[in-house]
Parts: sequence; C-alpha cells; structure tokens
Amino acid sequence: MSPAHSAEDTTAAAEDGFDHLIHAPARLRICAALEPVREIEFGTLLSVLGLSKSALSKHISMLADAGYVAQRRAVRDTRQRTWLHLTESGRSAYQGHVAALRRIVGDA
Amino acid sequence: METEGSISAAEASAALAATRSSRARVAWAGYPAWYWLLTGAGLGVLSVALLLPKGWALAAVAVTAGVLVGLAWAASRARGVCEYWTRSAMRWREVVALYGPVAVVLLANAFVARYASWSPFAAAALVFLLFAGTGLLLSARAARR
Repeated sequence: MSPAHSAEDTTAAAEDGFDHLIHAPARLRICAALEPVREIEFGTLLSVLGLSKSALSKHISMLADAGYVAQRRAVRDTRQRTWLHLTESGRSAYQGHVAALRRIVGDA
Repeated sequence: METEGSISAAEASAALAATRSSRARVAWAGYPAWYWLLTGAGLGVLSVALLLPKGWALAAVAVTAGVLVGLAWAASRARGVCEYWTRSAMRWREVVALYGPVAVVLLANAFVARYASWSPFAAAALVFLLFAGTGLLLSARAARR
C-alpha cells in the first residue's frame, strides 16, 4: 500500500468513522484483538486469528503503513519475537469504525 | 482486499460479531492450565490466612498477593499477551463471573469463620474449585470459538 493510498483511507475514515482499510475481515479481527491489550506477540496473534503467517504479515504491514499498528522486536528465550500494538491513531480509527458499524446496525 | 461502497446492516452486524469473537479469544484463550490452578489455590490460601494471628495473617496475605501478581505476569509472558494493569480484554461481566463468586465466598467466610472452625478450609476448597473451574471452562470455550 502506498503512503498516498493510506492517507486517503485515513482521511475517509475521519469523515464518518467508517474505515475501508480496517473493514477488511482479517484486518478488522486484527484490530479487534489488538485494541483491548497493550501488545500481543506475533505468534499469539497467529493462533488467535487462525491466519497463515504470510497473510498476517501482509495485513500487519498494510496497517503499519497506514500508521495504525506499530511493531517492537524483542529477544526472549534466545529467539527474536515481534510484539504488535495499535498506535493512538489506529485505536481511534478502530473505535470510530466500530461506532460506524453500530450506527449502520442501529439504523437498519 | 479493500471494501468499496456501502455495506448492509447484516454485513455490519457480522463484522461486529467478528470483533467480539476476536476480543473474547484474546481475553481467554492461551492461558496455561497452571495459571488457573495456582491462582485458584492462591486465592484459597487467603481464606485460610484468617486462622493465623493478625500480624501473620497480614504477612500471609501480602506474600500471597505478591505471588498472584507474579503468576499473572508469568501467564502473560507464556500467552504472549501483555495487558494493561488497569484494564484487560475481559468484559466486566466476565470479570464478575470469574471473581464474583470467589469474592462472595471469601466475604462469607470472613463472617462464618468466627463460629465454625471448618469454614476457612471449606471456603479454600470452594474458592479453588470456583476460580479454577470457571477459568478452565471459559478458556477452553474461547479456544473453540
């Protein structure tokens, strides 16, 4: 995803809260898993969501390009692990998106 | 894949259900069984601590609280999920389902223990069963989602 594209998505998100980047099923589930916690290890997120490693990496990098997700690398038990967390803008975009979904359900 | 155009209420509802499912899995899945068993035992120790003289009871409660915090930290490392100290992925009603019955038993024991010497031991066993049972059950249910 190009930075210009992610900027468009973020701008669109600001209009009514509905965020097309987040709305894709896998990315919505990623954000829902990251929102209530401080950070999650990549491997844990894999098992929680049941996605393939490559699919999760692809979606994480799209969210990271949009500035919604940040990564931190740390060594534990001699293995390098990646911890993921929602940024402030990611959290607010996700919460706005969920509010927009609730409005759609409520309006029906 | 990006989504285009407007979405229906049914699609929005399904999306909201997916977010709830993800949150529930993060809240409950991945806990090692030892966390539920040891924390249940630790909470049970709190009810037996009433039998000790006041100073020793306070020391036992402080040590047990420290052990419980250590267990929570170790479980967090084992799960690969780092939660906030002040809030977690669990909903309030889930927190109440997990800790509510335990709190009721501990409070009831604080009164009954004055009249029945067996009460702290019965309360310890009940607290262990309630906490470990609820934790293991909800954890297994979240893993199946």
